[in-house]
Amino acid sequence: MAFEPREEQTKLKYQELRIYSDEELNNYTEDELKSFKVKHNIPDLDELEKGPWPSFVADSKREALRRHKLPEDRMMIKPEVVEDMLGQLQLSFDHGETHWKHGGIVGVFGYGGGVIGRYSDMQDTFPSIAHFHTMRVNQPASKFYDTDYLRTICDLWEYRGSGMMNMHGSTGDIIFLGTFTEQLEPIFFELGHVLQQDLGGSGSNLRTPSCCIGKARCEWSCYDTQEMCYELTHFYQDELHRPAFPYKFKFKFDGCPNGCVASIARSDMSFIGNWRDDIRIDQAAVKAYMGGEIAPNGGAHAGRDWGKFDIQKEVIDLCPTSCMWMEGDTLKIDDKECTRCMHCINVMPQALRPGKDTGVSLLFGAKAPILEGAQMSVLTIPFMKTEPPYDNVKEVVEKVWDWWMEEGKNRERLGELIQRYGIPKFLEVLEIPPMPQMVTAPRANPYIFWKEEDVEGGWDRSIDDYRSRHAR
Amino acid sequence: MEDLKKAIMDYAESSKKTKFYFSDLEKAVKKVKPDAKAREVKKAATALINEEKLIYFSTGSSTMYGMKGRGQTEDH
Ligand code: SF4
Ligand code: SF4
Repeated sequence: MAFEPREEQTKLKYQELRIYSDEELNNYTEDELKSFKVKHNIPDLDELEKGPWPSFVADSKREALRRHKLPEDRMMIKPEVVEDMLGQLQLSFDHGETHWKHGGIVGVFGYGGGVIGRYSDMQDTFPSIAHFHTMRVNQPASKFYDTDYLRTICDLWEYRGSGMMNMHGSTGDIIFLGTFTEQLEPIFFELGHVLQQDLGGSGSNLRTPSCCIGKARCEWSCYDTQEMCYELTHFYQDELHRPAFPYKFKFKFDGCPNGCVASIARSDMSFIGNWRDDIRIDQAAVKAYMGGEIAPNGGAHAGRDWGKFDIQKEVIDLCPTSCMWMEGDTLKIDDKECTRCMHCINVMPQALRPGKDTGVSLLFGAKAPILEGAQMSVLTIPFMKTEPPYDNVKEVVEKVWDWWMEEGKNRERLGELIQRYGIPKFLEVLEIPPMPQMVTAPRANPYIFWKEEDVEGGWDRSIDDYRSRHAR
Repeated sequence: MEDLKKAIMDYAESSKKTKFYFSDLEKAVKKVKPDAKAREVKKAATALINEEKLIYFSTGSSTMYGMKGRGQTEDH
């Protein structure tokens, strides 16, 4: 099925939407930048500019200078906002504590997320950052955008915000850093009604779903990550904008186990593309790799001579389940033992490809270390076919949410809830049987917990029948 | 719907707290209407937000509901 957007999309044209002229955007010289001093003394931040890495301080100084030179009526919040931000940060270094106050009731009408209130507690010293609210803009799927789009949102943010943004937040959103309360609604209006953009999630919401580049450019993608991300983003608008969960909830979509959006580490529900038939092998291409005609790893690591490609050492011996071997000059794979690590496919992409019977694996419960430690998602549904409109996926999502909303404590992530109740309970919620793929280390724990209803005769069954056949 | 909204407001108005987790609202509603579903409670809470009787209070990482005019509910 060809992809259909839910509403007609207008191509954004920067020339029609732009706020600033080229002269205004390029309003300083490199010499001016060199001699430019921000209005506060910021020795520790100057220090951060040194060294080989790009520095936000250097970027901030450029932005500070541009705003300094723009006419004041060309910006809706004060020109000094960047300078005050740097000044307050220096003061926080001096004091060893933050001067931001977080949270509050700011937002846009009807939305419980997407805006995060922030205020300075040094408003007399730094008046232009008295308010410094963050806005999260839901990024396009796979972060595909063109320069018209980028320039347009940059102009909007220069005009109504600080001009500083963060590409991208860890949930994937484009983050607008720092504006005043009265700018929130006008920005939201412009984003929604003119630019066809939406705010992302924050707080106890479904957070902005995000996906890898998927079928748009990657031949390994086992399902259309962009389409599923788009569909679930739209389908769960209420969950995204009106918080009623115990805490945050994240979906991330990886097209294959390479995990380019790291869904396994960063989402409560990770979708990872997978196949259930066999890895496709082109034996002629295998020979070409062995003969040195095709560069391994797609030609990466080419800066140094690593010697002749050795399939035994570089592929077969590194297979984590030892399920590959050579029979003469034919490569063999015992596919039922393959754990889908992608290593062999990554090394010899022209010879090996994922199978053709593709779908997703669902994993649950990753989180960063706030309470307890960091946690990876647990493989729970080894394989599922996926077709738009993904009703089977939505059914799973809703079972999980119903349980978590019922049993989850305030500020308890799904992964912590699963930990508290145990995997067997979670499987019951999902109405699926335990499967071998869920077990990481089969011999680590010898205990099997039976339930009374699973045992013939229950707990009170007489032992006599057993004893009649088995002496003590 | 109206009875759910009333249950939420009765609870919010009588509570000593000024901010509530969604689960607090849900529990309060279930006391009056034991068979109320979380989704219906959420719809009622959203309606109260739209009527500007309740407001969202967010720390950025988690969100609570507040009552207009009580506690820290004005922009500062
Ligand atoms: S996760 Fe897999 S499918 Fe997606 S971009 Fe990375 S390699 Fe390609
Ligand atoms: S994908 Fe990984 S586990 Fe599977 S055959 Fe290749 S190297 Fe072995």
